[in-house]
Amino acid sequence: MSAYSYLAEVLVDKYDVDKDKIRPEATLTDLGLDSLMVVEFLFDVEDEFNIEVPDDRAEFETLNEAATLIDELIEAKGD
Amino acid sequence: MARRVFITGLGLIAPHGEDPVSIFDRIYQGDSAVRLVRSGTADFGSDLPLATVDFTPKDRIPKTQQLFMARASQMAVVAAEGALQSSGLFREGQSVEDGEMGVYMGCGLGGAEILQEGYRTYFVRQSRRGRPSTVPMIMASGPASHISMRFGLHGPTHTYSIACASSTVAIGEAFRAIRDGYLDTALSGGAEAMLNDGSIAAWERLGVLASSHMDGPEASSRPFDLERTGFVLGEGAVLLVLEAESALRERAVDPIAEIIGYGVSSDAFSLTEPHAAGQEAAMRSAITDADIEREEVQYVNAHATGTPSGDPIEIEAIKNVFEDHASNLAVSSTKSVHGHLVGASGALETAITAIALQKGRIPPTANLTHPDPCCDLDCVPGYGREAPELTVAVSNSFAFGGSNATLVLRKV
Repeated sequence: MSAYSYLAEVLVDKYDVDKDKIRPEATLTDLGLDSLMVVEFLFDVEDEFNIEVPDDRAEFETLNEAATLIDELIEAKGD
Repeated sequence: MARRVFITGLGLIAPHGEDPVSIFDRIYQGDSAVRLVRSGTADFGSDLPLATVDFTPKDRIPKTQQLFMARASQMAVVAAEGALQSSGLFREGQSVEDGEMGVYMGCGLGGAEILQEGYRTYFVRQSRRGRPSTVPMIMASGPASHISMRFGLHGPTHTYSIACASSTVAIGEAFRAIRDGYLDTALSGGAEAMLNDGSIAAWERLGVLASSHMDGPEASSRPFDLERTGFVLGEGAVLLVLEAESALRERAVDPIAEIIGYGVSSDAFSLTEPHAAGQEAAMRSAITDADIEREEVQYVNAHATGTPSGDPIEIEAIKNVFEDHASNLAVSSTKSVHGHLVGASGALETAITAIALQKGRIPPTANLTHPDPCCDLDCVPGYGREAPELTVAVSNSFAFGGSNATLVLRKV
């Protein structure tokens, strides 16, 4: 299962993002997250999947790019 | 020219609840909010009397903002909204009329429970990966910053972290800034929420906390009483709206009370031991600042926390300042029913003193059944007292570290 659905769920439940605004091409800024919220959001994701997002790979733009990155990190962890 | 400064709004998140009038009524009746609370875990904890606040922000703060606010900040923001509403400066769905308003807050420990969680992650879970928002959430200045951001207030946003005198100094400094013309309106008070088990364990080791009394936990806080054993820690947030007379004239608002004097001093003596000379200096300075005769003071809301060493020293200081007039004073410690809110204590006691002046009612020292002969002033034991002639009152706050602060209030 892609991380996308988890990211969407956290954004709606914890960060109070309007469900209708969640689209693969939406950026976290579009969804109303400021820099502190983005860092906290990544922390949530890392905790959930027991992964670590390296600083040099945390520069994703859209939700879809974030989900792809997380999926790759989960897969790499499984190797 | 010095301007007059009035308290025009109150917002309380206190051990007795949130409505200022019903809180005062309960305090007036000597009705204690102290109860026995289990701190820590079942096998690694302690039962002790505390004055906790039954508070959750619910939908009063947007969910995403709550995520980044420690408990003290959450309580401060909700109390600030109450204060703004009661002053008439803010109504739900509207912006604050005075966007240049200052925020002057007192806070001792900031996000104590967030710091505890950070240490738990580090030491217990052996992880360096604590919450990224830990730093901005533990700042003692958090409550003031969140109030400023929440209501769009662009004036000075200051935090005074001076232990038990924090919020008295905050109110005093806001009073001075308004009186001297630096600003017209301020939200001022204090917030404290450190009833997390790590903080409580540290307080217990200091040996200053009250043990539960044989008559029940609600009788544990007993300033001036022979059976006093220490103070009861509390939590909460209390905000006052302070306005210059000129700002008031533009709005039809009935002030609650006037602040007329403020004095501070330092003992330069001990981290934890009180010192009469320093306390006297703060009271004298405040009375001089108020430009009144000491004989005009009728009521002192004492700092008296209920420690064996502290209460007699404050009584001694009051006697030295007021001399023959001391025996005419009513001196009470409302900590007997709301506990010691540390950084928010002075604000709560200033609010209570303001309502006492407004209502002409002096609140009591509850649980004062066997007065200590060393505390031989009129300490208003048990129940409150009607005092329709009450015009001038003093509120004292004396901090660990030796910082002393006194405010003088007058009936409007």
